[in-house]
Order: sequence, then C-alpha cells, then structure tokens
Amino acid sequence: MTHTQKRIITNNIVMVLSTLSAIIGIGFLFWILGVLVINGVDALSWTIFSEEGAPPGYEDSGLKHALIGQFMIVGVATLFGVPLGVLAGTYLSEYGQKSKLAETIRDISDIMMSAPSIVIGAFVYAIVVAPMGHFSGWAGSVALTIIMLPIILRTTDDMLQLVPSTLREAAFALGAPKYKVITQVVYRGAKAGILTGILLGVARVAGETAPLLFTSFNDNFLNTDMMEPMASLTVTMYNYATSPYEDWQKLGWAAAFILSMFILTLNILGRLIIMKRKGK
Amino acid sequence: MATIVDITEEKALEVKNFEFTYASADEPSIKKLNMPIAKNSITALIGPSGCGKTTLLRAFNRMHDLYPGNEYAGEILFKNRNILTSKEDLINLRIQIGMIFQKPTAFPMSIFDNVAYGMKLQGIKNKTELNDRVEKALCDAAIWKEVKDRLKHDANGLSGGQQQRLCIARAIAVEPEVLLFDEPTSALDPISTSGIEELVIELKKKVSIIIVTHNMQQAARVSDYTGFMYLGELIELGYTEEMFVTPKEKLTEEYITGKFG
Repeated sequence: MTHTQKRIITNNIVMVLSTLSAIIGIGFLFWILGVLVINGVDALSWTIFSEEGAPPGYEDSGLKHALIGQFMIVGVATLFGVPLGVLAGTYLSEYGQKSKLAETIRDISDIMMSAPSIVIGAFVYAIVVAPMGHFSGWAGSVALTIIMLPIILRTTDDMLQLVPSTLREAAFALGAPKYKVITQVVYRGAKAGILTGILLGVARVAGETAPLLFTSFNDNFLNTDMMEPMASLTVTMYNYATSPYEDWQKLGWAAAFILSMFILTLNILGRLIIMKRKGK
Repeated sequence: MATIVDITEEKALEVKNFEFTYASADEPSIKKLNMPIAKNSITALIGPSGCGKTTLLRAFNRMHDLYPGNEYAGEILFKNRNILTSKEDLINLRIQIGMIFQKPTAFPMSIFDNVAYGMKLQGIKNKTELNDRVEKALCDAAIWKEVKDRLKHDANGLSGGQQQRLCIARAIAVEPEVLLFDEPTSALDPISTSGIEELVIELKKKVSIIIVTHNMQQAARVSDYTGFMYLGELIELGYTEEMFVTPKEKLTEEYITGKFG
C-alpha cells in the first residue's frame, strides 16, 4: 500500500467516525424531543391549565398551580438577577477592567457557574429556609437568582468588552460623562448580546429542580403567597413522574413538555438575536 | 533645540515644556515639548510611527485620562489657562476641543441622533433648535444632501467616508473652538479622502485644526503649519509651504525626502 492510499483510508475512517458520532449525538436529542412530544402532547388538555393538583384517580387535575408558581419563582429571580447581573457585568467591563478585584470576581463567577445547583439549594436552605422555619417561594427565587447571576454577569461583561473602545472615546470626546457613555452608547452597542445572555440565563434556571426542592419545596394547590411553599413545574414533574399513579405520571409528562418547549423557545430566541446581529 | 517659526496670528493653544508618560512606561513618550498652535489655521503633525504625534494630539482633550496611570507634566495653555491641571473640567474642555478618530465612530443610533448627541448632552431639548443645528452641521460637513431623506436610519448603514463626515458633523454641531483629527482618512478610499480634506480646509474658517497624518502629501495639501516630530520631540515647526521645500533641520529634510520613516 502506498503512502497516498494509506492517507486516503485514514482520512475516510476519521470522516466516517466523526460523522457517526455527530449523528448519534443529535440522534439522542431528537429521541428525547420525540418521546417528550408524543407523551407530552398526549397528556395535554385544557384542564392542565385550568385545574390544580388533585389526588390520584380524580378527573379534574391540572398543573395550574405549578405553572403559576414556576412563573412567579422564575419571574422574581429574573427581577433580581437581571439588574444585579447587568450592573455587575458593567462594573467588570467599564470600571474594574483588568484590576485585581475585577479579575477575582470573574474567576469566582466562573467557578459559581459550574457549582452544582443542589449545593446552592442547600446553601439557600441554610441562610433563608432554616431561619424562616419553613420553605417559601422567596427562598426558591433567591436560589435561582444565585444560579442566574454569574451567567448574566459574564455575558454582560463579555458583550460590553466587545464594544470597540474607540466608540467610548468618541462619546467622551463629545463631552459625555462616563455614566452617559455607558448607558447611551456602550449599552446600545451591546444590546443584542446582553439580551441573549439574559434569555439564556432565564432558560438555564427555569429547568432547575434540585435547588427548588430545598427552598420553595412544593404545594399541590394554587398558592400565590411567596412567603409560603410554592409549586413549580420542575418539582411537580419530579413528584408526579416518580409516583406510581398513571394519571399523575401523565401530568408529569405534560409538565416536562411545557417546560421543555418554554426553554427551547428561549434558546431559539437567543440564537435568532445573535444571528440577526451577525447578519447586519 | 527645535526650530520653531514665529507665529504672528493669535494662538489657539500653546504647549510649554510638555512631557507625557504612559502608565506602563518608564520613560516619557514626549519630552520637553514646546509648540504654539495658530488660531483658525491648520497645523499638521507628521513624523514616523511612535514619534508621539498621536500622544500629543490626545493630550489636547485629555483623552489620556480615560486610562489610569498616565502622567502629564508642563503646560498646555488654552484660553489663558493650563488645561493639564487636575481641576480642569474635562467635560467642558472636550466640548470646546473636539476630536475625529482614525476609524469612523458612528454611534449605534440614527443619523439624526448621532449629530444631536453632543447637543443633547448639553441639555438642548428644543426640537426646532435641534433640527436646525443638525441640518446646519450636516451641511457644514458636506453630507446633508446624501442623508437628508434618511435621518432616521441607522448610521451604521452609511459608507466609511459618509460615516467619517457624519462624525465631523457630530463634532462641529457643538461648535468647538479646536478640532483634533487623528489620521482621519487612513481608513478611507482616495475619493472619500479628498472629500474630507476639502472639508477640513473649509472648517478652518470657524475652528483651529490640528491634524495628525502619516501621509506627507496630505499635510502639504491641507495644512498651513507643519510640525515634524521625532522620538517624542518636536524637531521643527514651520510654514507648510516652506518646510516641504526648504526644511531648516537636517532630520526634517531626511524624513520628508524619504531617507527614513
């Protein structure tokens, strides 16, 4: 066998192996989505959105309590997490820059991003749930805020740093004070990127279960008082899916489907914003 | 010692014993520099890369203050005061001494908002006044005809040459007394370049101009005075017509005849 033939064969083997691996990887994704859609759509009905939890065997049961609880817990976490994250990212990029403090915050934030979410749940249990004496929606929001924070902080930092420094200089050269340079010029330049970071941050926490188990816990009925334990789609799904009752399991599938579609939509939106920006 | 021509006109700026040291450097990048800048005329700064011409230019509007650790020494006199003191109001200074950068720096907003930006910073809110002054600035920057039908469009949709004229419009809209140009045409094609050059010559009726350029022909075409800098020092400042024909310093002659650079 000549050297050239050898090379062609090696080339083909690598190509086939890498293509196969890619197909297997994507295959799992579509498999998961397929199973979710088949079981989820089957489990969907109007009562899912209009009814609360009910004992097994009961006809009119739904996920209204979990949907509203999820919306409130994630919503409050977003209300805290977005301003904190964007402002912290602004500090890093515009004020701290390459200073020791800024670099330390960046490192810690990167470590926090890969911290197991159950650890954050346990932490919030210790500092919020234990002193309060009971689980609460607030505690759930605090846990999700902590998880969301490093994601938004780092994307904001990265996106602001992508804005050319000449643009800042041009604004300063017109006599703009620093806060106006940041809010009127730099933010505008990084708008799409920051928004994408926020969407991905929300999508990330919306799928969290472990930290909520320790914090907002669960409630089988509708509760809109953040001081009390609160249902969420993820914890509800966990409880229903592990139950022995078929109608509860069905509700679990519905919860999984709704949650996945929500997160998928956020992710696709994020991608679209990035693509639109690149196309420009 | 540098050869410096006697300037008979009124002076817009006067640099006295100026020294500048970057935060990361041990040695000053500009050493004991003295230089008058004539009012309502164009002074070109030429010299090889790293000679300190852009560093000097960015001292006039204290741009170096944006980055910590840079140090000034000596004086730059503007309206009878030294603008290098720590009590200088930088916002006010930068309104009076505008700057045009190497690459066009259109803000991510509409054409109108770009030009109105500096005026809005000064608190001008009156719609009619804003409209009038935006139109006047765009006319003065010779770009009004091209953009008058799309003032609400994104400024980043303009060509490089148009964006640079937009930046000039934005700078003159706040009616500065001095305009600093940092190689304003190095990113532009020849046609846009000659457009900008004509504009710069037109602008000197109203403002004093300092222009840093790598292009000696450009300095010869547009400027009244030319300063040649080398290794952080001003070697010669003279009438442009004279300097390119009969330079007084040997270094200047070698540079403009292309012996080094």
